[in-house]
Amino acid sequence: MTEAGPPQSVSLTIDGTPVTVPAGTLVVEAAKTVDTDVPVYCYHPKLGPAGLCRICLVEIERLPKLQIACNTPVAEGMVVHTHGQKVEDGRRAVMEFLLLNHPLDCPICDKGGECDLQDFSMAYGQGASRLADAKASKPKALDLGPTIVLDDERCIVCQRCTRFDDIITRERSLVVKDRGQRDVIATASGEPYRSNFSGNVTELCPVGALTSKTYRFKSRPWDNHRTATTCTQCSVGCQLFVDERYGTIARTMSVPSDDAISDGWLCDRGRYNIGFYADARRITAPLLRRGEQYVQIGWDDAVEAWAAGLRDALGAAGPQAVGVLGGGRLLNEEIVLLVALMQELGVTNLDWRAGRQRQATPGRYAGTYAELEAAQLILAVGRPPSQTAPVLDLRIRKAVSQRGARYVTYGGHAAGSFVGVTPLRSADDVENVLSGVERVAVVWDGIDLELGARLASAIDGWVARGVSVTTYLSGEANNARGAEALGMVPRSGGLPFTGMLDAAQNGRLRSLSIFGANPVLHHPLGGASVANALERIPFLVVSELFLTETAQRAHLILPARTGFEKAGHVINLAGDVLPVHQAHAAPPGTLADGDMLVALAAELAAEVPGPEDVLARATAALPAATHGFGDAAYSEGVTASKSDGMAAGKPGGGGLRIAVGSDIFAGGGTIWFDETLAELRPDPAATLSPATAARLDVHIGDRLDLLSSSGDDSLQGLVVRIDAGAPDDVVAVIDGLPEAPANSFADGDNVVLGARRAADALEPALVLP
Amino acid sequence: MPVVNVLTDGIGEVNLRDIDVYRNRGGYAQWQRALTELQPENIAQMTSDSGLRGRGGAGFPTGRKWSFLPKNGRPRYLVCNCDEAEPGTFKDHMLLLETPHQVLEGILLGAYAIGSHHAFMYIRGEFEQGYRVFMEALAQARAAGFVGQNVFGTDYGIEVTVHRGAGAYICGEETALLNSLEGKRGEPRLKPPFPAVKGLYGEPTVVNNVETLATLPHILKNGPQWFASVGPPRSPGFKIVSVSGHVRRPGNYEVPLGTPLRELLEIAGGPREGRTIVAVQPGGGSSACLFAEDLDLPYDFDTMAQHGTMLGSGAIVFFDETTNFVEAALALVRFFAHESCGQCTPCREGGHWLEVTLNRILSGGGLDSDIDLLLSVSHQLTGINLCPLGDSIEPFLASVVRRFEPQFRGYVRRPESILVSA
Repeated sequence: MTEAGPPQSVSLTIDGTPVTVPAGTLVVEAAKTVDTDVPVYCYHPKLGPAGLCRICLVEIERLPKLQIACNTPVAEGMVVHTHGQKVEDGRRAVMEFLLLNHPLDCPICDKGGECDLQDFSMAYGQGASRLADAKASKPKALDLGPTIVLDDERCIVCQRCTRFDDIITRERSLVVKDRGQRDVIATASGEPYRSNFSGNVTELCPVGALTSKTYRFKSRPWDNHRTATTCTQCSVGCQLFVDERYGTIARTMSVPSDDAISDGWLCDRGRYNIGFYADARRITAPLLRRGEQYVQIGWDDAVEAWAAGLRDALGAAGPQAVGVLGGGRLLNEEIVLLVALMQELGVTNLDWRAGRQRQATPGRYAGTYAELEAAQLILAVGRPPSQTAPVLDLRIRKAVSQRGARYVTYGGHAAGSFVGVTPLRSADDVENVLSGVERVAVVWDGIDLELGARLASAIDGWVARGVSVTTYLSGEANNARGAEALGMVPRSGGLPFTGMLDAAQNGRLRSLSIFGANPVLHHPLGGASVANALERIPFLVVSELFLTETAQRAHLILPARTGFEKAGHVINLAGDVLPVHQAHAAPPGTLADGDMLVALAAELAAEVPGPEDVLARATAALPAATHGFGDAAYSEGVTASKSDGMAAGKPGGGGLRIAVGSDIFAGGGTIWFDETLAELRPDPAATLSPATAARLDVHIGDRLDLLSSSGDDSLQGLVVRIDAGAPDDVVAVIDGLPEAPANSFADGDNVVLGARRAADALEPALVLP
Repeated sequence: MPVVNVLTDGIGEVNLRDIDVYRNRGGYAQWQRALTELQPENIAQMTSDSGLRGRGGAGFPTGRKWSFLPKNGRPRYLVCNCDEAEPGTFKDHMLLLETPHQVLEGILLGAYAIGSHHAFMYIRGEFEQGYRVFMEALAQARAAGFVGQNVFGTDYGIEVTVHRGAGAYICGEETALLNSLEGKRGEPRLKPPFPAVKGLYGEPTVVNNVETLATLPHILKNGPQWFASVGPPRSPGFKIVSVSGHVRRPGNYEVPLGTPLRELLEIAGGPREGRTIVAVQPGGGSSACLFAEDLDLPYDFDTMAQHGTMLGSGAIVFFDETTNFVEAALALVRFFAHESCGQCTPCREGGHWLEVTLNRILSGGGLDSDIDLLLSVSHQLTGINLCPLGDSIEPFLASVVRRFEPQFRGYVRRPESILVSA
């Protein structure tokens, strides 16, 4: 035994080639170092060995029986043969068994062309079946849940899907039901399979048993044109493949080698929210308001109108009468151009903060995903990342389940993480769980600046006493960190967005350009206030994909391009500068925001940096952050939160407070305008604890209205849900739902019940004449 | 007649379920002696010296099995496997029903010997009455102070937890049993790690058969030499055999190992009037058949193995010349296909294929090629499975197909078979 030395290595021979690998390596992995191919179905590097399919048989000298390469660790002097008569015979036997009751319906199977069963059949399969009887029949085209269809006849019971649901997501709803030749894949509860990560099982499935509803019968692999890019749905920045088929996006797929960011997985938002680009409601020509109507105009006219509007505003009241909102959904290159153009025009009223999030830079303790995974304690403050940065939450689950980390939350939201989590109620609780901990990762939602400031000072204290701390800010918009880093923040003396809205109310803001942002649905001032202010701006320009709540107020609407239709870079929450490649031809009539800005600059005869300069600035590595995470670098008067979340004491008066949370399928833009997601969008719901529901005398399925304590704002028609884990005296609602926007409510607000309608009142009663 | 009464002593004569009756006959004396006079190592050494081999089916030396436990200071568990489900085996059920205290004393001794403070009793789901009997015995022993803290005034404490299975044959396989005990789906675990290293709840665990454990009080009482001196040197001791099939007095008989099969046949009353034994399956449903010419072989682990079969759990089924071996083969193949957990490919698919094929042969649809198919499929599914269940199909099937091929051919060549020959 060596003490604390490097990992011991083991030398062995595989197919005559001597190899040396670390002790403990499995033969199946060691074989990858020589030029040989050991077939596998159930084995997967991220799921570990299962020993079920038996296809990976190899011959090991001095062992009488064939061994499975997936569960045999290497040993010194071991001699492995991955080929030869004995091995081929064993694999041929396994292949015959695998194909025995398999329907062999490759011509109509989505997996055809990228199917391991097909591939290994070519290598080890026999030309004809010896089965003289009918194949076993099992359920086909089974609706497993909102995203997945199951064909049990194609299933080879490798259990990759059930193990993913067990080991990786920890959700444990998928199981093998029944036994022997009758076994099938099912959910343990019998309920539909719902998970934010369900789509991964279709990739893990080595055959065509699990298929995505969005991709079924849509394409064949050889017809797909594949582009590697970065997912632009959230701030995690997962690498993904976009497969396009003759002008339509057929699907997105994970990048298995992307260990650093996605760990090889995708969330269902990133995977399935792709239908919006082709939605019939997409704007494909610039729209100019004429009275109560919009008329389609050409791009030349649009840019001219835009420039004229800006010139009018600048001429009449100077740069302080002009504002720009957006950037969180733009590419770095576009942000660079936007900031440069505004600087050229002297405009200082810049802000990316169209929603609740106030900050996106994680400060001087900014950490990597690897550091988060290695933390002993993970503290999520505010909204936990399970719904806002799902794949980050998957890494938290990994840290907890595979590395023994402890997960705690602060701020009253349910973690939704499927691993053990301890909700903390006070700052003292936080200090207590820290005792003896050396490595802490803190994930904050960036919403409540006052809370952030206290958190930042607490972190300084932890660091001072030798704790290693890394910080993370999960962004509301995918490129929030890029927007903040590249200067989409108020310039010297400029107004933040809330100030711009004030100025608009007072008639001092004469022009506002909004890029890919929907403050009417998301800004904490509330839809009515924001819309009212926007409507007082003489010239409002919105660059958008759809007629959102905000775009509907614009004088000029510019048809933008999606993240699939342009190229550039973004910065994820971990500070990685990531490439976005164009995967799909944009519809005619649309323009990338960057191209709009170049045209605008030309029309205004303003100098903007050339392409090389833009690229250099857009791809420069981020300097070490010196600010952010709760400091007051560019704060503003209005903070969204009126209290320290749910940690505040007992509610007063009517006794009901609100918690506003997130859902990966809540949103107004790409979600609302994607009909393929209808089944996944959450209903507007009000979730209560059983005691609170009893106290208020409301029941599951009732509809109720919630009023802010001042009575000025309301949330209407919320469906009552009861959750035994919910805190008492709190009603939890979901943010960002166009049919019930909650943006004027903040965590901890007192609310009162408005009208309520009993569940059965919703069903039309059968009345006989 | 070499029938002995060691584990079976008193059965059918007195009510051994009553703890007082059991104690009056010397019961729990070895438990008391172990705790007050012996160290765990002493018991382990005596068990090793006795040469006791596991009575559950694999015949692995019990003392050696215990020695694999790592000395890592972790909690360890002893699990008593009372999932007896091997076709033809009914000895553990009898011990459970008739001498529950003897079984419990064996469990306690085994747990003490391996340094465990928590033993588990896994009882097959169908053994409803045996479960009740054992629970009553455990309650009596607890009341007497034999189970619990500070047993016999020592600082040793032991808990016994009883768990009932849900009727799956595979849960007799030790790692499937552990999964079932943990509340998981009853299917075998991938090995390594072995239970001795990572067993119940991830801790070092020994799983021993009921009869194995029930033998311990006798080895302690009479000494290892007494046990080792009975029978062949490498298969010492007594064994309860469950004899069934075409005999006049089927039942459990306790005999010294090494007793010839013919003698065992006689003990069970011999063949029926005017019949001749043509085959014997000597070690449960998983074992290959021996035939009339093999009846003089001594019944012990090594002899059985040398003749291509096994002693297994000690279930002996005799077949006379009236046997339809196609139906017999189907009965066993159907059993294994039905009990396959389905997790690994060859067992799941191969067992089902053989069942379908035999069904077709029996219903008149046999093909000439089916004989070769039965042999080929059963052979190619053997030796490549995760657990021994899949490997249990070939021995009986192949042995009777080869020996009684004309019976199988007879079905294939029936006139009715023209139904499918087109």
